[in-house]
Amino acid sequence: MNKYSPNRFITVSFILLSILTLGIFVFAARFMDWRSTETINDVGQIYMESMSRQVSLHFQTTIDLRLNQVETMVESASPSREIRNPTITHNRMKEILTDSAKVREFTCLALLRQDGTFEMIYGDDAYITDPAPYLESLRNGEKKVAVGTNVTGEDLVLLGVPAPYLLENGEEALALVAGLPVSYIVKTLSLDEDDTMVYSFIIRQDGTFVVRSADATRSSYFDRVRELYEDVGGLTPEQFIAELENSMKEGRPYSSEFQIYGEKRHLYCETLAYSEWHLITCMPYNSLNSSIDKLSGQLLGMAVSCFMIIFVGLALIFIHYYKMNREQMTSLDNARREAEHAQKKAEQAQQVAEQAQKDAEHANRAKSEFLSNMSHDIRTPMNAIVGMTAIATTNISNTQQVQHCLKKIALSSKHLLGLINDVLDMSKIESGKMTLNVDQVSLQEVVDSLVSIVQPQVQAKHQKFNVFVHDITVENVCCDGVRLNQVLLNFLSNAVKFTPEEGTIQLSLYEEPSPKGEAYIRTHMIVRDSGIGMTPEFKEKIFEAFVREDNARVQKTEGTGLGMAITKHIVDAMGGTIEIDSEPGKGTQFHVTLDLVQATVQEEDMILPDWNMLVVDDDKELCESAVASLRSIGLHAEWTLTGELAVEMAEEHHRRGDDYHIILLDWKLPGMDGIDTAREIRNRLGDNIPILLISAYDWSEIETDAKEAGISGFISKPLFKSTLFYGLKPFTGEKSEEHVEESGATDFTGRKILLAEDNELNWEIAEELLSDLGLELDWAENGEICVKKFQASQPGFYDAILMDLRMPIMSGYEAAQVIRGLDRSDANIPIIAMTADAFSEDIKRCLDYGMNAHIAKPIDMREVTRTLEKYLRPSK
Amino acid sequence: MTLQECYAAMEGDYQDALGRLRSDRLVQKFVLKFLADGSYDLLTQSMEEENYAEAFRAAHTIKGVCQNLGLTKLLNSSSELAEALRNGFTPEAIPLTERVKADYRQTMAAIQAFQKEIEG
Repeated sequence: MNKYSPNRFITVSFILLSILTLGIFVFAARFMDWRSTETINDVGQIYMESMSRQVSLHFQTTIDLRLNQVETMVESASPSREIRNPTITHNRMKEILTDSAKVREFTCLALLRQDGTFEMIYGDDAYITDPAPYLESLRNGEKKVAVGTNVTGEDLVLLGVPAPYLLENGEEALALVAGLPVSYIVKTLSLDEDDTMVYSFIIRQDGTFVVRSADATRSSYFDRVRELYEDVGGLTPEQFIAELENSMKEGRPYSSEFQIYGEKRHLYCETLAYSEWHLITCMPYNSLNSSIDKLSGQLLGMAVSCFMIIFVGLALIFIHYYKMNREQMTSLDNARREAEHAQKKAEQAQQVAEQAQKDAEHANRAKSEFLSNMSHDIRTPMNAIVGMTAIATTNISNTQQVQHCLKKIALSSKHLLGLINDVLDMSKIESGKMTLNVDQVSLQEVVDSLVSIVQPQVQAKHQKFNVFVHDITVENVCCDGVRLNQVLLNFLSNAVKFTPEEGTIQLSLYEEPSPKGEAYIRTHMIVRDSGIGMTPEFKEKIFEAFVREDNARVQKTEGTGLGMAITKHIVDAMGGTIEIDSEPGKGTQFHVTLDLVQATVQEEDMILPDWNMLVVDDDKELCESAVASLRSIGLHAEWTLTGELAVEMAEEHHRRGDDYHIILLDWKLPGMDGIDTAREIRNRLGDNIPILLISAYDWSEIETDAKEAGISGFISKPLFKSTLFYGLKPFTGEKSEEHVEESGATDFTGRKILLAEDNELNWEIAEELLSDLGLELDWAENGEICVKKFQASQPGFYDAILMDLRMPIMSGYEAAQVIRGLDRSDANIPIIAMTADAFSEDIKRCLDYGMNAHIAKPIDMREVTRTLEKYLRPSK
Repeated sequence: MTLQECYAAMEGDYQDALGRLRSDRLVQKFVLKFLADGSYDLLTQSMEEENYAEAFRAAHTIKGVCQNLGLTKLLNSSSELAEALRNGFTPEAIPLTERVKADYRQTMAAIQAFQKEIEG
């Protein structure tokens, strides 16, 4: 784009126009100069012509006058009278002639003889310089003028008039000749005057001077020309002389210019009357020139001024135009820039819009996928329920097994409920409103429930599932158990999903001191699989909602895509971190690190007698961690990796009389499995040593076999301290605290509870259930009554308030707020909310209104018991 | 008609109720008491009076009772109605109320039949 071409055009045209103008003016000046020179020449010629005519006329007139005088003299003394009386009259005649000649100031007077000599009447004798043409003319009866010289050397002009006077020798004279000095002619003609610039010469045809001016020292004008004239009208002096001679011969006037002493002069030549003479008039151009020069100088000045004015005017116009153009260009430029800017903005806006559309489409698609995939996460626990139900149905007569199945079913159901809650909760999580329901949690329970949920899936895919637990010093921590469960379950179910059959999945758990202080414990949870792994790109966005790796390998794997997003939010809310280590084709490891608050209530001191034990497992790590755990509860243990070795070691100890007190056998061992090993030990060593089978799998299928082989009992993996403690304790022979686990074990006898519940039926059910715990309940039909009853009671009368939230007249929230504001020593009484709304925000609201805890409806006795245990003050 | 058959007739979850109340006797006792529960009347009345806050509370209470007694079908419809009314009136509340009414009638009919049988 040649966006500056208008400017260039202006500049170029300006320069061209300037040059043109300058050229025109230069030309005009030159032309005028040339014209003025021409004019000067013309003027000079005209002037010279008239000048020279003037001079020649004056000469003619003067000569005429003198000749007339001589004629008059001749008439007054007529020769005819003399002829009649020659003697007397001849002298007399001479006297008369002398008189009249003197009167007329002739310097001399003579009679011209036929041979051209003079018979002087008076004056000095003279002779004619060039007598031939003179005599010729006089013989023809013409008056004639000639130049002569007298004996004194004075130049004379000789005026001759034919007159037949008698000479002394009796001959007849040719003419009467009167002489005048040449100086007279010069004077008369003003040829010698200095005050005129014009000067003249009179020359003969051969160039010799008749009359010359002062500075002409040479005898011939032609010599002068040859020596002094530098240039004559473009001709050499010789050519000029030739031309001049020609003109003189033909009697034409001649005009030319010449240069002398570095000065230009004009020359005019004309033939003079009554003579063979020519008048040459010269005039220098100086004066003429100076005025003409002045004029042309003025003209040039004017021209330059005009040029300057026009130039300046042009320049002004151009500058103005240029400026305007520039402004226009600038504004155009600005407009263009603005337009471009606007266009860019529009493009950006379009991009934003497109991005937004893409995002919206993406989100839309993701949500549709989510809806269609969501079933999977629900299906996982559902499968467990269905499977367990089937097992229970086939073993309906075996009460123990049915109970076991029911326990698993309950766990899975709980998980299912939790999942559904989470799905409902997702929008709240996404908007950052997630709240944690922090409670005392047993890590052992968490892992147990995880294992029982994951186990069926792992088995279905024939995957190897290991759980490693070591260095767990604190089992009870404060944490949102459901959320923690959800996090780990999500990682585990992903691991199961994305690991091919025969692959390995491993859950590791260990603790270390927390940098946050003694009240905390840093808990590491690692889920590792040997699955398909992730690309680095996908790793970046794994925690975005509704995302799954878009890859052919995972197309057939179903899932909600919500799991990781929820997981990330939960871990963030717990103040933890997630590290991902993954490589496509190799596997993935999720490492969750949480700093958890240690629960104030820890397990009772778990110390068992100082027994010798044998742990048999094909996994070395598991053996070592089990041995460490056993040591922490006061046991000493050895370990080995195979059944065969175990039998040998047991025999060896038996021979030494140092039998193991208990042998822990893994069920699945390479070669001889756990049951075979147990059978072999029993065969060799008898029934004295308790042999326990440890297994991560459901042992109901093998229980009969195991019992027959002499297995004394089962312990489920992973081997937490508490798992080992409670699993081994029965073999100490002490049965003291066996039944503690049962509900109702906590004795709330005599504890008084005020229960606010507007619905009578609900109240009755609650009373029925809670009075089983030994609690005494008072009923308040709404919040107001609740407050009144509480106010009316003695301080300390009630141990706690169970509060329904939705009640007429006064809601549970308000009631709690009022009670907290009362001026009573027991205004801080534990208030526990009961509601069918399981949303986290309801729980948060409960806490905001001053309530201590929240339990969900319908009443779950275990939950109620645990919550009451936590908040009821120790018995009086 | 046994209590289980009664639960089947009103599409409830007998096992759930039994798990919570722990005895057949108690389940029977409370199911019969449901006949006298006033929450349903409060709901219909509040809906007629367009007192939706009160209607929400009534639906919520029905939901709570149903949770306790394992009356699954009525629980589901009352629960949905409660959600539809939680933040004031929404158009879905009208058809949901009709569903609650139908489920309630089904439930009442079953319990009444059961009652007749044990008394008769």
